[in-house]
Amino acid sequence: MVDYGPYEMIAYTGSRLLEDGKVVFVGTGLPMIASIHAQRTHAPNIVLLFEVGSWGPSLELGLPYSVGDTRACVKSCYLKGLASAFELAQRGFVDYGFIGGAQIDVYGNVNSTVIGDNYSKPNVRLPGSGGAGAMAANCEKTIVIIPLEKRRFVRKVDFITSIGYGDGSEGYRRRSGVRGSGPWRVVTHMALFGFDEATRRMKLLEVAPGIQVDDVLDRMDFEPIIPQEVKRMKEPTSKDLKILREVDPERLFLGRDIKE
Amino acid sequence: MKGGMANPALTRCRKKRFEWWGPTFEEARKVALSKSKGLKDKRMSLKESVKKFVRDGANIGIGGFVNTRIPVAAIHEIIRYGVKNLTLSFHSQAYAVDILCGAMIIDENNLSIERVELAYEAHEMLGLAPCFRYLVEKGLIELDDYTNYGMTARFKAAAMGVPFIPVMEEGGTSMETVNRGRMIECPFTGENVYLLPACHPTVGLIHVQMADIYGNCRIFGTLCTCPEIAQASLHTIVTTEVIIPNENVRRYPNLTEIPWFIVDAVVEQPWGGYPGAVYGFYWYDVEHLRLWIKAGRDFRKTGKTDALENYFNRYVFECETFDDFISKVPYKTLKRLKALDGNRPIIWD
Repeated sequence: MVDYGPYEMIAYTGSRLLEDGKVVFVGTGLPMIASIHAQRTHAPNIVLLFEVGSWGPSLELGLPYSVGDTRACVKSCYLKGLASAFELAQRGFVDYGFIGGAQIDVYGNVNSTVIGDNYSKPNVRLPGSGGAGAMAANCEKTIVIIPLEKRRFVRKVDFITSIGYGDGSEGYRRRSGVRGSGPWRVVTHMALFGFDEATRRMKLLEVAPGIQVDDVLDRMDFEPIIPQEVKRMKEPTSKDLKILREVDPERLFLGRDIKE
Repeated sequence: MKGGMANPALTRCRKKRFEWWGPTFEEARKVALSKSKGLKDKRMSLKESVKKFVRDGANIGIGGFVNTRIPVAAIHEIIRYGVKNLTLSFHSQAYAVDILCGAMIIDENNLSIERVELAYEAHEMLGLAPCFRYLVEKGLIELDDYTNYGMTARFKAAAMGVPFIPVMEEGGTSMETVNRGRMIECPFTGENVYLLPACHPTVGLIHVQMADIYGNCRIFGTLCTCPEIAQASLHTIVTTEVIIPNENVRRYPNLTEIPWFIVDAVVEQPWGGYPGAVYGFYWYDVEHLRLWIKAGRDFRKTGKTDALENYFNRYVFECETFDDFISKVPYKTLKRLKALDGNRPIIWD
């Protein structure tokens, strides 16, 4: 068995979700690493898109520090501004959007704006939407990367920054005037979730080797749908780890630990 | 289909009554018509430009994205100049906005911010913006939250000369409950569509790689939303790494991203985006950004403004010009930041 860290599992899982020939709207860190891994393995024709308007960059100067990093623009094929990324997503040219956040609820609504119930005087002011709110609205499938922790998998998010299935009612997204199909996967190092088609509630799909379903539920403040058969998450091989570590040689993103 | 949207979050928040947070469309049009559009030399010092265009109560539109191609030189000059009751508008910022917040913390009689319309304020992987956080968590500044595209679209609407723009986003989120957008029923499809009000800054601050003396600007790397912000603003101050001859502009007119007649001041300021990155010129000074963040965190932790004051004294107030600030950065650091940019090819001729 190979030894890997929690964020390496997340990046690897993110990679295997991606289909070749699609456009991936990437955020800083793990989504970039996951997408480059996919490009170098099973999906050579996947296209990376950065919100500053950089389409298909080569990233040959190394991993960008942030989505606005000038390195994210190096050797791209089409480079304009933010409008060219988001308007083409709105138009239907972007298949996947990777987002993160501080809290997520059972319907896949994500908060990255405030902690506390008073918007005007919050307990904690987080960065705000950035690109995430727009990506969750109009990329066709949203993939959320978030550590599996009780304080993050909450019954009610303090603020909906990135739209999921709202209150879960049928047609909520359409009524809200957004066109992407919504949250598709939630990736953590211990479990992979999807969403139930009929109820739009989060559904456990896979758990990591050595982890029990109860271990996952202990780290959540709501109960997801648990199907009869829960699969095992695939582990990265030594070849996969070699690729991941080549992409992030300084281990800026892969080297972090998750608080237990 | 309109109405009946149940928003499961934020029951305590109420939709604001609509008001413009800066100039209206009518004012913006009037100022545009009043300008002399001929090709004239608009070079001036930063001091002159800030004195001429930045006023108490102004809405300041800030170009760049997070710490990329941000108008740091203009921001430092505004802090030195001192101005009150500002509204700030931008999509994603980091250092430029956090130091304005820090300036308000150390002396609100010199500089104060009333409102911020934004999508994001933090330093990405370097962490949250401590001074901005402090002001928001104390309830000292009013916010209006959009997505990055929402803010881009709002500047774009203003740049197009229309009062609003429809977007397929923000509806169904808590932003719908707190920001100044509105859900309407589309008159053509009958379906819900979210409208955002145009955003006209009083002054746009834009840093570019190249401009001629009239204000024709070339931008390399991401354009961010700079052309839209410049076109939306009543007045635009451009700082530029270099001045290029007008004949170069005329050689490749397609490369002009911001045209001369919407620019009011052209300031030649090498390193004008430092400690941020400018594509083709230099990469971020991560150490300096960390130094700033540390001063802000120190204040949050201790409640004492010493570290912030030291930062401002050393890097802003004791500097007569931005060149004085850059002179404090070791030559070897500047050289390294140039190398880290990787010498991306840009078009000079």
